[in-house]
Amino acid sequence: MSKLNPTPLVTPPQLDDPSIKSTWSHRAWVATGCTTVLASLAVSFIGSINSHIWLEPILSVFAGYLFADLVTGVYHWGIDNYGDASTPIFGSQIDAFQGHHELPWWITKRQFANNLHALARAITCTVLPICLIWRDRPVAMGFVGMASGCIMFSQQFHAWAHGTKSKLPRLVVALQGGGVIISRSQHAGHHRPPYNNNYCIVSGVWNRFLDENKVFEALEMVVFLKLGRRPRSWSEPNSGWTEAAVDSPAMVD
Amino acid sequence: MVSLVKQPLLSLLPTTQSPKQYHPFAANTTTPFKSSQSQFHGLNLTFSIPCSSSFTPLISKTSLIVSAKVNKGSVPPSFTLKDQDGRNVSLSKFKGKPVVVYFYPADETPGCTKQACAFRDSYEKFKKAGAEVVGISGDDGASHKAFAKKYKLPYTLLSDEGNKIRKEWGVPSDLFGTLPGRQTYVLDKNGVVQLIYNNQFQPEKHIDETLKFLQSL
Repeated sequence: MSKLNPTPLVTPPQLDDPSIKSTWSHRAWVATGCTTVLASLAVSFIGSINSHIWLEPILSVFAGYLFADLVTGVYHWGIDNYGDASTPIFGSQIDAFQGHHELPWWITKRQFANNLHALARAITCTVLPICLIWRDRPVAMGFVGMASGCIMFSQQFHAWAHGTKSKLPRLVVALQGGGVIISRSQHAGHHRPPYNNNYCIVSGVWNRFLDENKVFEALEMVVFLKLGRRPRSWSEPNSGWTEAAVDSPAMVD
Repeated sequence: MVSLVKQPLLSLLPTTQSPKQYHPFAANTTTPFKSSQSQFHGLNLTFSIPCSSSFTPLISKTSLIVSAKVNKGSVPPSFTLKDQDGRNVSLSKFKGKPVVVYFYPADETPGCTKQACAFRDSYEKFKKAGAEVVGISGDDGASHKAFAKKYKLPYTLLSDEGNKIRKEWGVPSDLFGTLPGRQTYVLDKNGVVQLIYNNQFQPEKHIDETLKFLQSL
């Protein structure tokens, strides 16, 4: 068996690197994303009151929260294992996730809108039409609103999962401890070789089930046997995937 | 033969079999049944489907397979396949000693590699029990050769191109037929099947179960 590549030593980006700064475009997309999510939830809330129902909307909101966790896991698994920077549509995301594995803590340095804008853009483009078409379905909109909101903010939950406990707001630490959002310890499992587990990043509630039942392993086998594509997790991690040691430790909080 | 571990959600999903599953030696010869068995992640699940137009699947945790193509007590169909060195190998070659025939999905995949290496690591114990080990998958000879060389596998790997033998023996698939099943047969020195073990995602258990059985003989 080949040996793991030694831990690469890299010079991390500077804190004033423009790649981690929010631009007005980023902020605009986050604003539209949030508006879309809030509109969906508002439609659900108002429709529920008008229809005198409460249990179904609450359950659908909860189902949306659970669904979002699963979706983030499947998406994360997909872009962690297949494709590269040149892949159409997803190339930049794949490249970003690979870079994230090399410098996991760097996500904590990204400004808020910079971190969320890509998901916000996707949510705006998909959920806004749904909101318009399904505006008279409060139960469905509860599910859609909650799921899209959790998916959009999953990158923030992800960033918090890489944070240091002492530097995180107490509410965030409490939510992590309560399993409401992905915890630092659970997500740390994803950043250990062979990097093939703990893919979900909203609450992580699906992680144990998916990992214990080898769901992603099964999907990887199916993809390999049907399409001939080997997932990255089957190979020894290359230097671009292994967490790097920084040559300027002072950069890391 | 039927072993129960925990019951993951996915194990309740049916597996697919080829349509002609009626076994001529099934206990009930007047009403043919289709039957398939899959042990997805440790749970051995058997269900029988009547061949009538009304589809009424029954899921039983403890029923025996009565009409799989090869089952316990039967003599499996003979075969001649090429090994990793291109030589023809017949099942009849192993008559006179117990043989462990394990069907696995594909070379160089994580589960199959674990399983192959586990058989390798316990090979001396199998030899001590007087048994031979044979692995079968749909990969070609070149793939088997590279796989055997890379992991220093001391036993025979056979190429079941087109999965013909897999189908003849009735090895069940998983995940609605998308995943070739992982099933191991232990044949006694007369070529009669004495143990069948199916487990897709705990490959090392195949070694534990078959070795335990051989050592109990």
